[in-house]
Amino acid sequence: MRIRSRVNGWVVVILAIAWVGTLSAHHSFSMFDTGKKVTVKGSVTAFEWTNPHAYIEVDVPQEGGGVKHWSVEMGSPSILMQSGWKFKDLKAGDKITVELNPLRNGDPGGLLIQATLPDGRVLGNGPGRGPAPSTSAAAPTGR
Amino acid sequence: MIWKLCSVVAISLMFATAVFAQAQRPDLTGVWGPYRGGRGADPKLAPTPAGAPVLKAPYAKPYEERRAAAAAATQRGEPGPTNGMLCVPYGVPTMMSVAVYPVEFIQTPKQITIISEAFSEVRRVYLDKPPSKIDEVPPGYYGRSTGRWEGDTLVVDTVGIKDTVQYQTMPHSDQMRITERIRLAAPNILHDQITIEDPVVLEKPITYTLAYSRLADYEMVEFVCDNNREFVDANGVVRMRTQGK
Repeated sequence: MRIRSRVNGWVVVILAIAWVGTLSAHHSFSMFDTGKKVTVKGSVTAFEWTNPHAYIEVDVPQEGGGVKHWSVEMGSPSILMQSGWKFKDLKAGDKITVELNPLRNGDPGGLLIQATLPDGRVLGNGPGRGPAPSTSAAAPTGR
Repeated sequence: MIWKLCSVVAISLMFATAVFAQAQRPDLTGVWGPYRGGRGADPKLAPTPAGAPVLKAPYAKPYEERRAAAAAATQRGEPGPTNGMLCVPYGVPTMMSVAVYPVEFIQTPKQITIISEAFSEVRRVYLDKPPSKIDEVPPGYYGRSTGRWEGDTLVVDTVGIKDTVQYQTMPHSDQMRITERIRLAAPNILHDQITIEDPVVLEKPITYTLAYSRLADYEMVEFVCDNNREFVDANGVVRMRTQGK
């Protein structure tokens, strides 16, 4: 069951959706609340195609005026390329919808679930080359 | 005359043996991604896990306590720092298996070079040099690796891993030795059986096998850790730096 509530204009929080990330990178993802999904719609201010993570920076217009800025952490370029991303897929000014798992501490940031690009493509944050956790015992990820 | 004939036969045998040994050696050159096995796969080709390390008494309890505390902190959403999170290289043996990232082997007659895509880590295995003496290798992330062929298997000996470079956050002594047996388990499946021995810290050796499948035509992606937004706050908790407030 989905419970939707509109928060701060463009921000839609969808609770009670457990999402387990398939990507695994250089740190634990427990700082993100994977039981929560936030959807933000806004204008891209930067798309950083960098390691250890790529980032989307988004200005999100608020209902009562003003803008809230969100930082969205993604996988690394290598992992993102496996799910169809290219380094030129976003540029400043692009309108974008991003679903993310928010930071637990309330800062305006989160982990990408998926993004809807201006051309309508929906791109995720993996799946990389396979589900990383399944071999964590055999193959230490070093996280 | 008879001696001359014997010499020719002996030399021919030596040559034939050398050629045969050479022919047995596979070419490991290429890019290899983690092979998970799973549904439809041959279980003999899948990786085999290590199980929990068994440490000697003085080390076991502190290790378990530290692991439990780290797991609890992660459970609370307040993970502590790790080398990887700080963009410190994983080193040997962890670099052989970082998440979903591939490794590249470059094989030449005298050296095999292994590059991990994650963090662009590089290790070199010297094939024509004697094994290292532990006390003569300055501790580092990759130590010193020498290798030899046993039939179709590359046997790699590594010593000289510094104490902060840890397998599964496990402590180790300067007597730690890592032996890898690397071979093609199938034409496009590579196995690396890793054995960690440490007579000071470990009650028994740790052994596990990593499995990789060949990524034909894959071009390794650059990975320089120059935009690390994770940081450790005053309470020792890993946080993500955001641009907004």
